[in-house]
Amino acid sequence: MERIFCDLRRCLACGACELACAVEHSSSKDLFQAVLEGEAPVRRREVQPAPWGNLSLACHHCESAPCIDACITGAMHREEGVVLVDQERCVGCWMCVMACPFGAITPSKLKVALKCDLCPEREGKEGRERYACVAACPTEALFAGEFAEFKRLLEEEVVRY
Amino acid sequence: MKNIIIGSSAAGISAAETLRREDPTCEIIMISDEPNPLYSRPLISYYLAGELPEERIYYRPPDFYERNRIEAHLGRRAVRVEPRANRVILDNGEELEYDNLLLANGASPTFPEIEGLDKAGVFGFRRLSDAKEMLAMLPQVKEAVVLGGGLVGLKAAVGLKARGVDVTVAVGSPHLLSQMVDARAGEIYRALLEEHGIKVATGMEPAKILGDGRVTGVLMESGEELPAQLVVVGKGVRANLEPVEGTEVQYDYGVIIDEHCRTNIPNIYAAGDVAQSYDVVRGRHWTNALWPCAVEQGRVAALNMAGKEAVYRGSMGMNSVQFFDLPVISAGLAGLRERDFDSELIDQPGPRIYKRLVLRGDRLVGFILVGEIENAGIIRSLVERGVSVAELKDRLLRESFGFSEIMPLIEGRGERFPEREYQELIETMRLMS
Repeated sequence: MERIFCDLRRCLACGACELACAVEHSSSKDLFQAVLEGEAPVRRREVQPAPWGNLSLACHHCESAPCIDACITGAMHREEGVVLVDQERCVGCWMCVMACPFGAITPSKLKVALKCDLCPEREGKEGRERYACVAACPTEALFAGEFAEFKRLLEEEVVRY
Repeated sequence: MKNIIIGSSAAGISAAETLRREDPTCEIIMISDEPNPLYSRPLISYYLAGELPEERIYYRPPDFYERNRIEAHLGRRAVRVEPRANRVILDNGEELEYDNLLLANGASPTFPEIEGLDKAGVFGFRRLSDAKEMLAMLPQVKEAVVLGGGLVGLKAAVGLKARGVDVTVAVGSPHLLSQMVDARAGEIYRALLEEHGIKVATGMEPAKILGDGRVTGVLMESGEELPAQLVVVGKGVRANLEPVEGTEVQYDYGVIIDEHCRTNIPNIYAAGDVAQSYDVVRGRHWTNALWPCAVEQGRVAALNMAGKEAVYRGSMGMNSVQFFDLPVISAGLAGLRERDFDSELIDQPGPRIYKRLVLRGDRLVGFILVGEIENAGIIRSLVERGVSVAELKDRLLRESFGFSEIMPLIEGRGERFPEREYQELIETMRLMS
């Protein structure tokens, strides 16, 4: 399964991925439209400072996902490897927030757990365009693919900022 | 291979699905004393409150048994296990034989030893039938008394209040939620509940349930009489040990399980609220009757039943709940009576925000987060892994704290973080250095 990885050395903490994520998950998919409509789009990705640079962090879609075990409604589930929240079934008990060791689940004000869903509405788009955050990253710190491919990227020298 | 699972809630369902996935041809028999057990037990309070209709509290679709090719014995109680004969006896006398048995038969509410518990209108709050019977009675209920200020009691209180009932919570402890949080957090919730019109009386134990056939009130040990047409008892639960009492199966407060979720009898396993597992914080066996533990134990037991070696790392106390708009998550040694710690770090930046870390030496052994819960999972993982947080502890409660700050710690203690996701991160860090 394809996942998203972050090369911390390349991440400038510009926040473009956070914004793109929030916009992708707004109803209009347009920043200005969303703001005008009074909707505050919620990002499912967060950039954090780290010793090697910065980390753009979202759900890892864990192999053995503790959030799925913890969910009392069955809202948190897996479809073809992707860990997803069925928002209709979520009651906002935050058992998943308690379980997630990455802090990658947001308890939203709407009493629904929000997390990375690997942009289902962009399915069919190719290459870096497939995921909103990856497409928005100006330094290509975010990488979508298998871990083995990502490792090859890490072996390249990068200019330190 | 013939597998019997007693119980059809979190642990039983998780085990049955795992067994079916691992072994498409094995026989699976499930026994439950409830006629329709596939609902999520923690959701009955949402149903009572009117927040969820009945169809929304079901955890699996009605065709769960057919789809997983399970022979279901519903509305039947397993009264006895005969380990030597590899046999389970049901309340109708039926005898079922097994190769492997999973005890996932849960726990039942504990009732205080007082007079009058048999009166109509006295309830535990554990089963869908409890919620349904309470709802059916509501037209005759103006006042309710909830005995116990733990999670179950407070959920019942909030649910009844939402239905327009005048609710008093009478608690033996000096504070609410005393198993889950400390005095400060308990007081935040007392104020919150009182603001929403729920009366709270602490340090109050019941002496007698009053009334003829039906409840009319509760006489407290103090001599005070609380009028009530409905009483909910939320005084904790006790493992359903009946089927194994007097057998060779080893139990204490619950059935003792090892790191394979196996009992002392090689082909008998246990999972969920009936089981007593190794508690990674306490360093000894403990009953952690919690949904996430039940699901994980059910899966691990089933994998071993299917012949796939799987190891259970152990359980720990943890819980998450939101009353009105105020969420709280706690884990480890967070309750009022916990003493086995050396130091604590407390931050209370606002009237409804409270954070407390509990440490033994340099190791986190518990925490409470009220109001700001975003980082609960990261902190919980540090409690669970038992790693030193010496260099990190002053930052853990900051609002800016995030996962990236524990990356150096993970890199240094890779053996404590064996999962693929951590191992990839460790390799990422190595390649970047």
